[in-house]
Amino acid sequence: MDAVKIIDSRGSACPGPITDLAKAYRNSKVGDIMELWATDKGVKADAQAWATKTGNEILEVKEDPEKISIKIKINKR
Amino acid sequence: MKKVLIIGGGGGGLILANHLDTNEYDVTVIDKSDLHFYQPWFLYIAFKGSKRKISRPIGELLKPGANFVKDEISTINLDERKVYGSRKGVYNYDYLVIATGTNPDPDSIPGLRQTYDEYGDYHTSVWSSQKLWSNVSKFKGGTVAIGQASPTCKCPPSLLEGAFLLEEHLRKVGLREKTRIVFFTPFPRAYPAEPMNRVVEPMVKERGIEVMPFFDVDTIDPQTKTITSLEGDSLKYDLPIIVPPCKGTKIKIIPETVQDEDRFIKADKKLMKITGYDDAFAVGDCNTLPTSKTGVTAHLEAMAVADIIQGKYSEFNGRINCPFDTAYGKATFVIADYNNPVAPYPPTRLKHMMKMTMARIYWMTLMGTADPIFDQFFKFTRPEKLNKKYATAD
Ligand SMILES: Cc1cc2nc3c(=O)[nH]c(=O)nc-3n(C[C@H](O)[C@H](O)[C@H](O)COP(=O)(O)OP(=O)(O)OC[C@H]3O[C@@H](n4cnc5c(N)ncnc54)[C@H](O)[C@@H]3O)c2cc1C
Repeated sequence: MDAVKIIDSRGSACPGPITDLAKAYRNSKVGDIMELWATDKGVKADAQAWATKTGNEILEVKEDPEKISIKIKINKR
Repeated sequence: MKKVLIIGGGGGGLILANHLDTNEYDVTVIDKSDLHFYQPWFLYIAFKGSKRKISRPIGELLKPGANFVKDEISTINLDERKVYGSRKGVYNYDYLVIATGTNPDPDSIPGLRQTYDEYGDYHTSVWSSQKLWSNVSKFKGGTVAIGQASPTCKCPPSLLEGAFLLEEHLRKVGLREKTRIVFFTPFPRAYPAEPMNRVVEPMVKERGIEVMPFFDVDTIDPQTKTITSLEGDSLKYDLPIIVPPCKGTKIKIIPETVQDEDRFIKADKKLMKITGYDDAFAVGDCNTLPTSKTGVTAHLEAMAVADIIQGKYSEFNGRINCPFDTAYGKATFVIADYNNPVAPYPPTRLKHMMKMTMARIYWMTLMGTADPIFDQFFKFTRPEKLNKKYATAD
């Protein structure tokens, strides 16, 4: 398995972390694991809606004082 | 004298050059074009047929003592401190600033090149905006599909501004009832940052603009006039208005590890130093900073880099301030920074006047003569202040 691709979107308020996720999706392939880091609180709901829409899978959501990290598996491209 | 070499005479490059002391530093700006363009006006060429002149010679926008060279840079070697031009040869530097903006890439999506050449857009050039205006003026009704082809784009509000201005135009010429306007976006909602979406969504609804969220363009078929998305949806159009993906610089940079897969330059988000280098910076749209690609951010980043080069402590706090024309004479601003989310700042006529005044005084802002006005405005509209006032009022 390839290494997890980190998408560091901390600090991004506009257009926001979902931009970086969508951008990484364009350059991804089936089987890739990505981890999105963000500080914007809306990221959890947005990443979930995105995963549902695109047919990809959220493996894990972790929150610490520094960041929210969301691990995503690409199942569909 | 230390040599500062700036590649790109756009907003970022010019503001930087004009904030350096030319008695202390040997300042040179290199651009492949003689002209600097005021890009926000593309919108008014494309949707109102504006004929305003929006370019000026770069040489005339520089302070006395700063040099301008017309050359297209092809290679930069950060380890050897050498920059190679395709016309005039090799340049050396003590400090390098790359401020080359973005490059539209209509060839990366099947069918987009043909659509773009035929219909134009409202984002890329005077030519493409005039092309779009000629198509919008000829339009007799049907479905307009309008939006950005991919997530990376400059000036996030400008995409929806296009849809708003188009809607206003069609209503004015009596075609609104005969037209379906579909705004597609790779994001979950009409405006990506949720607090601002709350402000504009009622307008989108009221004006009957349909939104197709999570729509990232995969292919376009000009024969059947259909756009399909990576997410598996499709959209039929009569008039396609598609902003091509933005990519980073075409310059070959050594080492190549300083660029991401779309060729944007990796840099520190507060100091704009290119990753791994103390003498090279990337300013404005060409870098990977987690902020909007706008003139205002390029401006603030450039001012911070000018201070850093001149030995003063300074950092960029991620402040964005994007004017957002919501049509019918009103506008707002999208304001946030690295530590504060976007404030739901409501549109007003006064803010529209401010946006239009900005277009008039733009050339002054490049020279730095409008800095005191900006300082006051930025203080008055700090995002934490606006959030306190407007976010809690919801
Ligand atoms: C429709 C639209 C509306 C917008 N509205 C707003 C707004 O309201 N407010 C706002 O703040 N921003 C707005 N923007 C964004 C703003 O125009 C850009 O973010 C800003 O111009 C970025 O400045 P820059 O210096 O990074 O790049 P640019 O201004 O794009 O300058 C890059 C320069 O580099 C030169 N160059 C590139 N490659 C080379 C090379 N290889 N060799 C030599 N020279 C090279 C180019 O010729 C160009 O002159 C808008 C943009 C668009 C398209």
